Amino acid sequence: MEQHSLFDLLYVAAFFLGGVGFAVGPFIISHLLAPRGTRATRAKTTQIYECGMDPIGDAWIRFGIVYYLYALMFVAFAVDVLFLFPVALVYNRALGSRDLVELVMFVGILSLVIIYAWKKGVFQWERKIYNPR
Amino acid sequence: MNESINIPWLVGSLVAAIAFVALNASMLVWLERKVAGHIQRRIGPKEVGPFGLFQSFADGLKLMSKQLIVPECSDRILFKVAPLLVMVPAIMSFVVIPFSENLVARNINIGLLVIFAFASVNVLGLLLGGWGSANKYAVISGARAVSQNVAYEIPMLVTVVTMIMVTQTMNLNEIVLQQPDIFHWYIFRLNASPLMPVAFLIFFVCSMAETNRAPFDLGEAESELVAGFHTEYAGMGFGLFFLGEYANVFIGCSLATILFLGGWQSPFGVFPGVWWFLLKVYTLIFVVMWARWTFPRTTLYGLLNLSWKILIPISLFNLVLTGVMLKVF
Repeated sequence: MEQHSLFDLLYVAAFFLGGVGFAVGPFIISHLLAPRGTRATRAKTTQIYECGMDPIGDAWIRFGIVYYLYALMFVAFAVDVLFLFPVALVYNRALGSRDLVELVMFVGILSLVIIYAWKKGVFQWERKIYNPR
Repeated sequence: MNESINIPWLVGSLVAAIAFVALNASMLVWLERKVAGHIQRRIGPKEVGPFGLFQSFADGLKLMSKQLIVPECSDRILFKVAPLLVMVPAIMSFVVIPFSENLVARNINIGLLVIFAFASVNVLGLLLGGWGSANKYAVISGARAVSQNVAYEIPMLVTVVTMIMVTQTMNLNEIVLQQPDIFHWYIFRLNASPLMPVAFLIFFVCSMAETNRAPFDLGEAESELVAGFHTEYAGMGFGLFFLGEYANVFIGCSLATILFLGGWQSPFGVFPGVWWFLLKVYTLIFVVMWARWTFPRTTLYGLLNLSWKILIPISLFNLVLTGVMLKVF
């Protein structure tokens, strides 16, 4: 690897270590300053907070995330945007309109994702009521 | 090319970045409370120090002297790692942010990419913190934060790709050097794309949503979710989430400044320097606060659809339009 980019990585690594130090430091101070226990008589300090009541049931259950479909669309977009980064960097360096045509085709196909989802009703949130019939 | 590593500069910039993050966060907390107070016709903090300036330091001391509570049935490792995941990438982004021409820790060639790579780790911290707490509110909030970040990352990245097409570089310092005065700021480069001001608006709204700021703070909607993903965090865990949030607000606003408002360049071409950069960034941060205390919180439905139905189509259209304009002119 070239020496210059090695130094770049060195800076990033140093800032990573500094960031970890900065994030852990307050916890160490807190560990030294803070009381170890409380005088709570009911011994419920470490209980999960649920507006003062004893929690009912586990939090790690399956619950309906209506918006998971957005996440599926995101995967398509995130990958495609990553492809666009190098294209954008060298865009317009060569004469001719070949890169423009390719860009339009790429973005055109990409935007079909949104049109498809729009038609399929992903953006329309209706209460899904269980119908026994 | 043979160069030796400049150790004093490395250590100095690291210490300066950390000191800046801490000072910036404490001042922004004070400013936010002052702004909120005056918008709501109150005074805000005024007891500790002149104009309440030292309020945040008192708060920090209070937070550090609080008991560290880890809930009993939580995932202990995830619960402890989550604040780090929010804080560390925020510090790491400061490697490449140019405060002025020479006041940058390391002028990395792919600076823009570096910042976005680190910024995408932030949401992982929110998700793991929410999940690790084993609290129902926190779990719901974590899922919300992810969907929101995911939705707003796309228009932001598409806008950035558009900007890279115009600037032809990912080096932040070179991007600033291309904007020597107010007519060359990218927000006013209408010959590159007539939608430049719209692009700026999209970028700004997205950076607001990415940092979970109101009116997009669905992740910590107090009226529904207690405090969202940091419900279970006491003392310094809570403090770190806020340090990270304010650092991210600064990074978002400084990116908007660098990409669209000419970074450390002066509007008239005289006296460029760090003061212009800070002035622009803190003006944008003030606008962020203003928006937070003026607009009501949106619904999650409206939030996601604003991104997918309006921002993403416009930003994609802007991308193609910029491509055409670059070829025509």
